[in-house]
Amino acid sequence: MKTRKWLLLVMSVILVTVLAACGGKNGNNSTGGADNGAAGGGSTNAGGQTGDTGGAQELKGHLVIWTFFDQVKDMADQFHAKNPGVTIDVKLFPGDQYQTKLLTALQSGRDVPDIFDLERGYIGKFINSKFLTDLSAMGGDDLVKDYIPYVKELGYSEDGKLRAVSDHSSPGGFWYLRDVAKKYLGTDDPKKIGDMVNSWDKIIDLGKNVAAESGGKEHLIQNAGDLFDIEAYNTQPWVKDGKLNIDPKWKTIYETQLKIRQNNVDAKLPFMSAGWGNALNDGSVVLTSMPAWAGFMVDNKDNKANGKYGVAATPEGFYEGGTYRGIYDKSPNKALAYEFIKYIAGVEWQQHNLEKTGNMPGNAKVYENNLTTFKSPLFGDENILVPYYNTVKNIPPLKADKYGEDILSKWRTVAGDGITNNKSFDDVVAAFKKEVKNAFPELNVD
Amino acid sequence: MNRSYYGYFFVAPFFIGFAVFGLAPILYTLYLSFMKWDGFSDPVFVGVANYTRLLHDSFFYQTIWNTLIIWVFSNTPQLITALLLALVLNEKFIRGKHFFRAVYFFPHIITPVTLGVIFALMFDWQTGSINKILLALGIVQDPVNWFNSAWWSRIIASGVIAWQYFGFNMIVFIAGLQSIPSEVYEAAEVDGATKTQTALHITLPLLRPVFLFVFITSVIGGLQLFDAPLILGDGPNNTGRTMVMYLYETAFKNFDYSYGAAVAYGIFIVVMFFTAITARASKLRE
Repeated sequence: MKTRKWLLLVMSVILVTVLAACGGKNGNNSTGGADNGAAGGGSTNAGGQTGDTGGAQELKGHLVIWTFFDQVKDMADQFHAKNPGVTIDVKLFPGDQYQTKLLTALQSGRDVPDIFDLERGYIGKFINSKFLTDLSAMGGDDLVKDYIPYVKELGYSEDGKLRAVSDHSSPGGFWYLRDVAKKYLGTDDPKKIGDMVNSWDKIIDLGKNVAAESGGKEHLIQNAGDLFDIEAYNTQPWVKDGKLNIDPKWKTIYETQLKIRQNNVDAKLPFMSAGWGNALNDGSVVLTSMPAWAGFMVDNKDNKANGKYGVAATPEGFYEGGTYRGIYDKSPNKALAYEFIKYIAGVEWQQHNLEKTGNMPGNAKVYENNLTTFKSPLFGDENILVPYYNTVKNIPPLKADKYGEDILSKWRTVAGDGITNNKSFDDVVAAFKKEVKNAFPELNVD
Repeated sequence: MNRSYYGYFFVAPFFIGFAVFGLAPILYTLYLSFMKWDGFSDPVFVGVANYTRLLHDSFFYQTIWNTLIIWVFSNTPQLITALLLALVLNEKFIRGKHFFRAVYFFPHIITPVTLGVIFALMFDWQTGSINKILLALGIVQDPVNWFNSAWWSRIIASGVIAWQYFGFNMIVFIAGLQSIPSEVYEAAEVDGATKTQTALHITLPLLRPVFLFVFITSVIGGLQLFDAPLILGDGPNNTGRTMVMYLYETAFKNFDYSYGAAVAYGIFIVVMFFTAITARASKLRE
C-alpha cells in the first residue's frame, strides 16, 4: 500500500511537471501580458505626448519587436538612448522561416510582438491584412511626406492607408573594380561608365568586346538574369483586376537576355552564388549589379578593398529588397510603438544608419543633405549617393500586392530556364501560365 | 491486488505527447484540407474542392514520378553497397572493420541540408569542383550544366541520399548477420558448402526479415524525400521536385495552407499505397 502511494505521488509530480512545461509558453504569455500591461501604461503616457521623440515628456514602457535583421538591435539601442524610459526587446529570427513564424503568431494572437518587420519579398501578403495598424490614422502620412516615392508607396495598403514604414531605400547600381574597369572599359569614372552602359544595346556591344579581349574568359556582367531584378519594378504589375498581366515589355527584356547569353556577355553566375561572390571580388566579371546594402559581399579584410570600387547607374533604375516595419493592430502599446516608427522614419536615425552601415536612406531629405558629402570607404572619393539618388527617385511608385513577388519568382525561374535552353518567348509564356494557374487557381490566366 | 492500471501512468507521457504534437496536427490538417485558408483571413469551408483540385493537378503527379525515380536511383546502389559492405565487414579476418563501420556511418550523422549544399557546390555549373576535374582530365570540353538536365539533377539528388544512408543500412544488415546462429554456418561447413553457397542459401534467406525492415523503412522514408533535394533545387521544368517539396512550396511559399493540407493527405495515400505493395510483395514470396 505504501509503495502504491509513493508511486502515485511520483507519477503525479511527473505529470504536473510535464504539464507545467507544456504550459510554459502560456506562462510566458501571461508575463508578456503583464509586461504589455505595464507598457500599456507607458503607451498612455506616450499617447499623451505630442512633441518629438525625446521631447519634454518622457516616454515610458516596453516594446517587443520581431525581426530577421540584426541591425534592428542598433535601432532599438539608439531609441533607448534617447528614451531611457523605454525598454525594447528585439527578438531576432534569422532565416527564411521568419514569415511563417510571424504569421503563425499573428494568427494565434499569442506571444505577439508590438512591432514586426516585413521584407519586400512578402510585404504584399501582409500589407492588406487585418494584422497591421492604420498608421495614417495616427498621423503617419506626415512621417513619410519627404520619402522616396517608391519606398513610401510600398507601405500603403490598397485602401490608401499607411500601414508600414521602412527606414531605408535599397537602390542598385553596377559595382566594379576600378582597375578592371580601366583595363576593359578604358576608364574608371562612374559617370562615363554610366553613359557607356545606359542601354542594353550598348551593354551587348561592350560585352562582346570584353569577351573578345579576354579570349572568352572574362565577361561584362554577371548574369543575363540580372535583368529580371533591374526591370522587375519598371514593368506593369503582374496581376490586374484578378487577371494575370504580362507586360509586353517582358518580351523585349527576354529577347535582350537571349542576346546577352548568345553573345557571351554574361558569366552565367546566379545572384549571390559562390561564383558570383568570387567574381565580384576578383574582378573576373567587370560589372556586378548590386543593391546598395550588399557591401558585406565584398571581402574587405584589413580594409584591403577600400577605395577600389566604383558604382555606376544601370540602364534603368532598380532596387532590391527592403525591410518595412508595422505595428500589430491588437498591440496594447500602439502609441509607444508609433513613437518608435516616428523615430526610424526621421532624419536623425537615418543619418546615423547611413554613416554607420552605409544603408541608403528612405527619407529624401537625408539623401539631399549628404549628396556631396557622404563617402563610403569602399568607394573612395566617389559621391555614391548621387547615382543612387538619381536611381531611386525615378523608380515608379507601386503598391505591393499579394501575388507580385511570387509571380515574379516564377517568371524568373521559367524564363531563366528558357534563356539557358534557348527557348522561344511563346514557349516560356506557356510554361509560365501553367505555373501561375497551378499556384493561384483563383487568378484568371488565359 | 490488481495493479495493472499503474501501466497507464507510465505510458501516459507518450500518449499525451502524441495527442498534442502528433494526433492533433494530423486531425487539424484534415480539417484544413476541407477549408480555404491562406493564413491571413479566417478559414472558409469548401468541402472536397482541394481534393478535386489535387486529382487534376499534373504538377502533383509529376512530383510522385520524380520521387519514385529518385527513390529507385538512390535505393538500388544504397542497398547493394550496404549489403556488400556488411558481408565483408562481418568477416572475422577483416582488419580494422570497426574503424570502417564508423567511417561508412559518418555521412548519416551529417544533416541532409549540409550534404545538399556540399553537392550543390560540387556540381555547380560554373565553379563546381566536379566540372573542373572533368575539364582538367579532358573528359569534357565544356562544363556540364548538371542541374539543367532532368536526369542528372535526379541522379545527383539520389546520390546524396544514397551516400547519406548506405552506412546506416550497412549497420542494420550487420546486426541482421550477427543474429544468424553460428551453428548454421558450422553445419554448412561440415557439409562442404562453399562461401558462395553459404551466402546464397543461408545468409540471404535468413536475412529476409532484415531486408523487409530496410525495404519498408526505405519506401516510407524515400517517398518523403525533402531536405537535400530542396537545397539542390527543382531541376529543369520541376523534374527534381519531390512530393514533400511540393507540399512545402504550396503551404509555406504560396501560403496556401488548405491546399497544402490536401497535398499532405495525398502524399499519405501514395506512401500507404507503395508501402502496402511492398508488404504484399514480401508476403507473396513466403
